[in-house]
Amino acid sequence: MDESPPPPDVQSPPPPPPSHTGSPTDFLKGVVGKKVIVRLNSGVDYRGILSCLDGYMNIALEQTEEHVEGKITNRYGDAFIRGNNVLYISAAEEL
Amino acid sequence: MASQVLPLELIDKCIGSRIWVVMKSEREFTGTLLGFDDFVNMVLEDVTEYEITPQGTKKTKLAQTLLNGNNICMLVPGSDGEES
Amino acid sequence: MDVSSTGIQEPFDLIRLSLSERVFVKLRGDREMTGILHAYDGHMNLILSDVEETIMIVSEGEQQATVNVAKRKMDMLFVRGDGVILVSPPSRT
Repeated sequence: MDESPPPPDVQSPPPPPPSHTGSPTDFLKGVVGKKVIVRLNSGVDYRGILSCLDGYMNIALEQTEEHVEGKITNRYGDAFIRGNNVLYISAAEEL
Repeated sequence: MASQVLPLELIDKCIGSRIWVVMKSEREFTGTLLGFDDFVNMVLEDVTEYEITPQGTKKTKLAQTLLNGNNICMLVPGSDGEES
Repeated sequence: MDVSSTGIQEPFDLIRLSLSERVFVKLRGDREMTGILHAYDGHMNLILSDVEETIMIVSEGEQQATVNVAKRKMDMLFVRGDGVILVSPPSRT
């Protein structure tokens, strides 16, 4: 048998994606500096760039828009959001 | 001696699968579980949020999302909510 | 950590940098106010002076809901932290 071996890099399994364990801490590291949607328990949304946050989920946002029922109701250059009001933080751009 | 499985060990086995999250209020989420912490704050991917109101259910699609564990009521592993 | 233009490393830095400035505060119960920030703590308890509070009073009419805005002024105010939703400092432009 003198069959040539298959070309090496066709169909070889792709390397596993860069390991990110997906914990909340890892998510937050990845999302700082990115556009996010912060929804409060009241249903009000804040869209802006995530400056930073702390262990209570207190959040600092830049270029913030406040959305109530789909309409912009306010704009803030910077905003501090107290963490107890936060329902979720969602990435609004590719991570 | 009952085998001791901690509740969070079960949730740990759900990482990578779909999960249905029911909040204390009339709000639910489904998504792929990427991770969680001791407070059961959860990172989900390909998320749908369901807001259940008397007028009907409002659905919102979300990308990667960190859900605050504070107001979570129940978790249903391997489920895509009532739609499935 | 992105500390790009702002140089803030934790959310409370935003508040610290706003001391002696006029800030906008949004509270539970549809209350909003602006005032000069004199002091704060880790609960977000606040001391504000020269405060103008705006209270939204929504009344459901036949055709549409109307919002009446009531304002009142206070010289000096303590705000309990658990009612705070949002604090916005003056724009740093």
